[in-house]
Amino acid sequence: MLATNLKVLAVTLLVVALYTLVARSIPQLESAVPEDIALGAGVTPQQLADAGERVYTGAGGCVACHGLGQRAPNLLTDHAGEGAIGARCADRVAGQTCKAYLYASLTEPGAFVVDGFDNIMPDMRRQLPIDQVWAVVAYLQSQGGEITVTGSDIPEAEAAAAAPAAAAPARSATSDPRQLLTENACLGCHVIDGAGPPIGPSFDGMGTRIGADRIRRGIIDPDADVADGFGQFAGMMPKTFGDQLSAAQLEIMVQFLAGRR
Amino acid sequence: MMLDLLGLVQSAADTASSAYRSFPGIGARGAVWIAAQVHLMFAAFVLGVPMFAVITELIGIVAKDSKYDKLSKEFTRLLVFAYSATALWGAVLVFLLTTLYPQFWTHMTGVFGVSMWIYVGMFFLESFTLYLYYYGWDRWNAGRAKWGHWGLGLLLNAWGTAVMFIANGWLTYMMSPPEGVTPLGLPPALTTWNAIANATWMPINIHRLIANAVFGGSIVAAYAGYRFLAARTDEERAHYDWMGYVGNFIAISTFIVLPFAGYWLGREIYEYNQQMGVTMMGGFMSWLWIVQAVLIGVLFLAANYYLWIGMQRIPGAERFAPYTKWMLVVLVIGWLVWSTPHTMIASREELTAMGGSHHPLLGVLGVMSAKNTAVNIMILTTFLSFLMYRRANKRPTVPWAGIGTVVQAVMFALSAVVVLGFGVYGYFVEAIVRIGFSVYQVGAVLACIFGVTIIDIAMGRGAESRGEIRWGQMPERSQYALFVLAVTFTWLMGLMGFARSGIRQHWHVWEVLRDNSPQAATPALGFAATMISACVLIFLGLVAFIFWLGGLAERTMAKPDAAGGA
Repeated sequence: MLATNLKVLAVTLLVVALYTLVARSIPQLESAVPEDIALGAGVTPQQLADAGERVYTGAGGCVACHGLGQRAPNLLTDHAGEGAIGARCADRVAGQTCKAYLYASLTEPGAFVVDGFDNIMPDMRRQLPIDQVWAVVAYLQSQGGEITVTGSDIPEAEAAAAAPAAAAPARSATSDPRQLLTENACLGCHVIDGAGPPIGPSFDGMGTRIGADRIRRGIIDPDADVADGFGQFAGMMPKTFGDQLSAAQLEIMVQFLAGRR
Repeated sequence: MMLDLLGLVQSAADTASSAYRSFPGIGARGAVWIAAQVHLMFAAFVLGVPMFAVITELIGIVAKDSKYDKLSKEFTRLLVFAYSATALWGAVLVFLLTTLYPQFWTHMTGVFGVSMWIYVGMFFLESFTLYLYYYGWDRWNAGRAKWGHWGLGLLLNAWGTAVMFIANGWLTYMMSPPEGVTPLGLPPALTTWNAIANATWMPINIHRLIANAVFGGSIVAAYAGYRFLAARTDEERAHYDWMGYVGNFIAISTFIVLPFAGYWLGREIYEYNQQMGVTMMGGFMSWLWIVQAVLIGVLFLAANYYLWIGMQRIPGAERFAPYTKWMLVVLVIGWLVWSTPHTMIASREELTAMGGSHHPLLGVLGVMSAKNTAVNIMILTTFLSFLMYRRANKRPTVPWAGIGTVVQAVMFALSAVVVLGFGVYGYFVEAIVRIGFSVYQVGAVLACIFGVTIIDIAMGRGAESRGEIRWGQMPERSQYALFVLAVTFTWLMGLMGFARSGIRQHWHVWEVLRDNSPQAATPALGFAATMISACVLIFLGLVAFIFWLGGLAERTMAKPDAAGGA
C-alpha cells in the first residue's frame, strides 16, 4: 500500500512540476501598476522619453497591441513602409504637428483609427496620469523623430484635462466634404468608392438607403440608430463629431453623403 | 523560531494603513489567493458531485439497479466530508479579506450586504438538505419515500446553484461593475440586483455550472482510481473500475461543452470592455493560452489513453485496436498546432530577430484558423474513441445496421471536411469573416456528435453482446491516467481563475476601486504558476485526507455488521 501511495504522490508531483516548469519557462510578463513619475516643469526631453518608455512597456499596456502588427499599427518598428512612429507622426493629419497628433491619438484614439484596424483603444487619460501621457508622447517622438515635448506642456495639459474640449485639436476650416471625411478619420471604418474597411455602413449608395436626417443623427449620435448588420460594432464610432465639426461642415458632410446614390 | 513567527505576526498586525495590512511570509495577496482558490476548488467539488449523485440515483431508481444507488451514495459520502472543508476555507477567505483588505471589504459589503445575508441563509438550507439527503439514504430507500429522497437531492442542487450564483455576482461585479458605480458604492439609481446581474454574471454562472460537473467527475474518478489500486477483492476492484469509468465519462463529456460557455464569457468580456478583452487574449496574458493549450492537450491524450486501455477489458474491442495509433497521431498533431504561439508580446529586439511580428514558420500554424481546426479535430477524435468504446462489445441486430454505420462514417467525414475546409479557407479572408467560421466548425462537430449518438442508440437496441465487460481487469497504469486527469483539471481551474481575476490588473473593482496595495501589480505567469501549484497541492492533500477519513468511517461502519454476521 505504501508503494501505491508513493506512486500516486509521485505522479501528482510530476504533473504539477511539469505545468509549473512550462509556465516558468515562457516569457515572463508582469502587468505593472502605473507608477508615480513626478514630472515637473523642469523635466528634460530625455527624462520624459525615458519615463515614457517605462510607461509604454509597463503600466500603459501599450505593447499589448502596438508591436504585434495585427491589433494596432507597429509604433516602434516600421508600419506600411512609413518607418517608426516618430518618423511618420507629422504626416498623419494635415496641418497637425507630430506632438499634437500623438497627444490627440492617446486621448481621442477613436478619431485617429488607422486604416485596417479596429477602434479598440481607450482614452489613455482614464489609465494614466496626464504627465505620463505626455511622457509617452515624448517616447514615441523619440522613435525616429525629434522630441518636442517639454516640461511646459504638462501644466497646460493638466488644464486641458480639466476642460477636455479646450485640448481638442484645432478645428479644420475646410469645406471640402472628402477632406472632412479624411480629416475626421471616417474612412478608417467606412467604405467609399469601393475601398476601405467595412466596419461601418458603406458611404457608397448611402443616399438610397437613408435620408439626410438619419445621416445627420448618425454623425452626431452614432448609437441612436445602428445600421442593420453592424450591431457588433455599435459603440465604436466616436460621439465627438458634434463638437469637432462646425454646423456648416456637418451640413456639407450630410448633403455629400445623402447625395451618394 | 516561535518568537520569530510571533514577531512576524505582530509586525503584520501593526501595519498602519487602514486600507491594507500585511500578512507574514507570503503577503496579503498570497494569503487571499490561496484561501480563495482552495475554497473555490472545494466549492466546485461540492457543487459538481450532487449533480451526478442525483442523476445516478435516478438511473438506479428507474432501472431498479442497486449498483447505481450504491455509487450515488458513495459520491454523497465524499460530499459530506468535503462540505465542511468548503465552509472552513470560505470562512478563512472572509476573515483574510476583512483583516487584510478592510477598505475593499467595506466597499463590497456596502454594495452586497443584503445578498450576503441571503447567501448565509441559503448555506444553512443547503447544509441541512445535504445532511438529510445523506443520513436519510437508508431510511428512505424504497417506494414513494425513495422518490422523496431523490427530491431532496434535487433540492440540494437547487440550493447549491443559488449559493453559487450569489457568490458569482460578487466576483463578476469586480470584473464588470455597472456604469455609475463609484468607490463609495452604488449610486441611487442602481440597486444590489443591478450589481449582481452585471455583464459577465450569467456567462460565469453557466461556465461554472459546467466546469463544476467536469471537476467533480474528475475528482471522483481519481478517488475511484485510488480505491481500485487499494482494492483487496475482485468485487471491490470491479466496482471502483466502473466508478472510475463513470466519473471520467462525466468529466470528459461535460468538458467538451465547456469551451462554448468559455467563448460566450470571452465575448461578453470583450463587449463590456475591449481593453479588458485584449489584455486577456493578447496582452500580458497571451502566453497563458499557450499553457492552457498544453494542459488541454494532456487532458485529451490522457482521456483517450484511458479509453483505449479500457477497451482491453471489453470482448470485441480488439477489432478497433489498429485504429488507435492513427488517432494518437491526429491528437498529437492537433496538440502541437494548438500549442503554437502566434501574436505574442515581443520586444523590438525580438521583433527584429524574427523579421516581423510573427515567426516565419510557426506564425502560420499559430493563427486562429489552424487552432480552431486542431481543437475541433481533437474533439471529433475523442468522440470517436467514446463511440468505439461504447460499441466494442455489441453486435447490432437491426437490419439497417450496415447502412447506419456507413451514415455515421459519412457524418464523421463530412464534419471533418467542414472543419478542415473552413480552417484552410480562413487563411484567405478578413479577420472579421474568419471569426464567423468558428461557428460553422463547432456546429459541424456538434451536429456530428448529436447525429451519430442518436443513430448509435437506435442501432444498439436489441444488440447482441460479444461478451460482458470484465470490470476490474484493468492494468494499474490506466488508473494513473485518472490521476493525471484530476491533477490537470485542478491546475487548469487555478490557471483560469488567475486569468479571470488577473484581467482586472491593478483594480479591485475594474475602473472603480483601485488596488493601491504593495502587491497591486498582476504577477507574471511563472509566479502565478507557483501559486497555482501550491493551491493544487494543498487542495489535493486535503482531499486525500478527507477521502482517507471517508474510508475510515466506512471501515468503522462495516465492523458492527461483520460482528452481527458472525
